[in-house]
Amino acid sequence: MSRKDLGFRAIFGAPIILFVLSLIGLVGALLEDGLWDWLGAALLGTPLLVLTWALIRRRG
Amino acid sequence: MQTRTIRAWTWVHKWSSLVSTAFLLMLCVTGLPLVFTHEIEEVLLHQQWEPGRADGAKLNLDQVLEVALSRHPGDVAAFMSFDEDRPVVNVTSVDPKGPADIYNFQPIDQTSGAPAPPVAGHPVMEFLLQLHTDMFLGLPGMLFLGAMGLLLIAALMSGVVLYAPFMRRLPFGTVRASKAARTRWLDYHNLLGAVTLAWVLVVGVTGVVNTLATPIIAFWKDTALKELTAAYDAPVAAGERASLDAAVKRAQAALPGMTLQFVAFPGSSYSTDHHYAVFFHGDTPLTTHMTTPALIDARTGELAAVASMPWYVKTLSLSQPLHFGDYGGLGLKLLWALLDIATIVILISGLYLWLAKRKKKP
Repeated sequence: MSRKDLGFRAIFGAPIILFVLSLIGLVGALLEDGLWDWLGAALLGTPLLVLTWALIRRRG
Repeated sequence: MQTRTIRAWTWVHKWSSLVSTAFLLMLCVTGLPLVFTHEIEEVLLHQQWEPGRADGAKLNLDQVLEVALSRHPGDVAAFMSFDEDRPVVNVTSVDPKGPADIYNFQPIDQTSGAPAPPVAGHPVMEFLLQLHTDMFLGLPGMLFLGAMGLLLIAALMSGVVLYAPFMRRLPFGTVRASKAARTRWLDYHNLLGAVTLAWVLVVGVTGVVNTLATPIIAFWKDTALKELTAAYDAPVAAGERASLDAAVKRAQAALPGMTLQFVAFPGSSYSTDHHYAVFFHGDTPLTTHMTTPALIDARTGELAAVASMPWYVKTLSLSQPLHFGDYGGLGLKLLWALLDIATIVILISGLYLWLAKRKKKP
């Protein structure tokens, strides 16, 4: 293979960000009512947005 | 990563998944409608019910108890719980001479003392819940599903480790859509696993904790609850008891601002032989699952203790909302459903990848 292997950040960067956002959403909605219900859902929804993005731009 | 290391993690991922997949699929499929239990039962079981007295004057709890027990002569009271959206008190009693597990459950209109229609779950939802909780096998079934949850956690961990060698030349989010089905589904499997990890892990871990509910409560009763009552000897006979209504009022005064949830009578599970255990919960999504009992001496009606729950019971209480997803409105429930479906796709694609790999081998 001529291409270089990707580093840790390139492989795990996006998943780690999604992991942290989801966790903040899960716990945030638990701690507070009202605004946090929506904020929590929005944060927990980020993995699904990213998934949609990946499925739309999937390539060859 | 060394080939040997990868091979070891592959072995963990393969076997933890293979053993648990059928059960995890069952949990995901039954869990999907269960997320919307409240909404579904609202539609299926909607019934109009009006309390007997419109002015809202209520019987006190001693009167409610007397009415309930008069309908099952010989029974002793075990629990009393309170509906949140209607003036109904539910009395659970048991015949001390009969089988121990047969309870009589009576919803009673607190304004008139008349029986009120029970708000039992829909039979289909009850069936799904039972299947999801213990597969109709009681405690062994629950613990077995807990073990399947532990395998899920092992599969997630090994999946994270294996993600690195699989993705070392593919940018995040790659789906090689024009390649062979196996390659394509490997990409879907990796992508879905990578983005949903936090949710699957939280629901998995809290699910495992929930399977330990029975031993956790039993341990609490055998240790923390027993310590509070070491000073007593003989159980309180029903005739020697102080007023229940006064006991609940006394408990409410000790825990202002909290919502009354249920009362456990002396001798029942959740209490001691000597106390009314009056349970309260808080009002935020976090504290609504956190119960705090106030123990009232059943002879004197005096406050004996406010038994703040130990950490392991609090952990169990926290695990319930995080597993059910019922704490952040309909938006959160919809996400629970979508992420549940994503998990089903991960499980099925994983199974497919294993089958496809086996077929390729000579």
